[in-house]
Amino acid sequence: MKRADPRVERLLRWYPRAWRERYGEEFLALIQDTLNGRRPTCQLRLSVAGAGLRERWHRTVRTAKAAAERASASSWLISAAIGGVVTLVPPSLKASLPMARAWQGTAALDALLAVASFTCAAVLAGILVVVPAFVRFLQAGGWPKIRRRIARAAGATVVAGAGLAGPLLAQRSMTSAQLSRSVGYWVGFLAASAALVVALGLWVSAVTGLRKDLKLAPRVRAAEVVLDAVIAAAAWASVAAFFVWYHTVQLSVPWLLVWMVVLASTGATGSKSVRRAVRRSRRILAAAGRGR
Amino acid sequence: MRPSGLRRPNDPPLLILVSLADGPKHGHALAKDIEHFAGVKLGPGALYGAITRLVERGLIEPTGGDDRRRPYRITPPGSAALAEALADMRRVTNAGLARLGLDLA
Repeated sequence: MKRADPRVERLLRWYPRAWRERYGEEFLALIQDTLNGRRPTCQLRLSVAGAGLRERWHRTVRTAKAAAERASASSWLISAAIGGVVTLVPPSLKASLPMARAWQGTAALDALLAVASFTCAAVLAGILVVVPAFVRFLQAGGWPKIRRRIARAAGATVVAGAGLAGPLLAQRSMTSAQLSRSVGYWVGFLAASAALVVALGLWVSAVTGLRKDLKLAPRVRAAEVVLDAVIAAAAWASVAAFFVWYHTVQLSVPWLLVWMVVLASTGATGSKSVRRAVRRSRRILAAAGRGR
Repeated sequence: MRPSGLRRPNDPPLLILVSLADGPKHGHALAKDIEHFAGVKLGPGALYGAITRLVERGLIEPTGGDDRRRPYRITPPGSAALAEALADMRRVTNAGLARLGLDLA
């Protein structure tokens, strides 16, 4: 098959991948026929860019609508399932169950530790792959660019840590009954939690900003795309695994079932997003191969 | 908007359906034909945007042939949608001409 002029082929980048795969070749043929050997004019470029962005918008809206329909259907099902479990499981079932046998608690804890370790390993890998680029960034005098963001996040972390110290000290010196009656303790606890969330948000913002400044090689970018998806999926799975373990130990059967369903659904959605990330990383590598 | 998405006489989807009414054509042939019978010059982006929507709605479909110059043909629902749109336009045209006192012949 005859290759299109690279200048013309570049115009296709305005369109979403699925569209390019379906219509790309014939669209390029049309542009080539229209141009008849001439260079793409500015008007043509603008018109194609506009049409490509409209196509992206159209697909985004369509995907969002489909996702909303799926989400509303699945959330209805999940709500019905949760409601059914909570209301229909008779209290006698819970009462009749023996205390959690050691192996159940141990298995749930092992699963939690495995998922948490995997998450930590993925985070560590995500950090390690960008270290060389980060070092190059610092050597090129990049520190002033990120100094303010890092200082803000570090400051917020210190404030949140100091704020948490109060409730933690109170926990040591007061009984559970005193704590539950203490308005000051709960206000401090909520304020410290909010500060912690703000600090985390600032760190995320600092890292996101830093990523934009880093010049990552295509291989690293491709790896980062996959690791991002793996970390997100593993983090959600860790949260679900924590609650599965907690409710296993507490022997609260309805909630245990609910969290097992959540764990299974996070596994399914996580693997889907990882597969999508793998496809995206392949595109990054393929684009880098074409650019060479 | 009607389900077929055909609104105005210079709508790219309507022009494409009119062009395909007498047989399959590929992109460049479509653009040339539309320019010839309607005086409307459709750019590649506008043309393929309209083709994409028409294929999605099942009003046109690709035929076999060369991958790079894939011809499209109108489907039976496409013909029906075109006939309906043209009948609507004829009603409006006739009413307008009659009110202006112009000869319909």
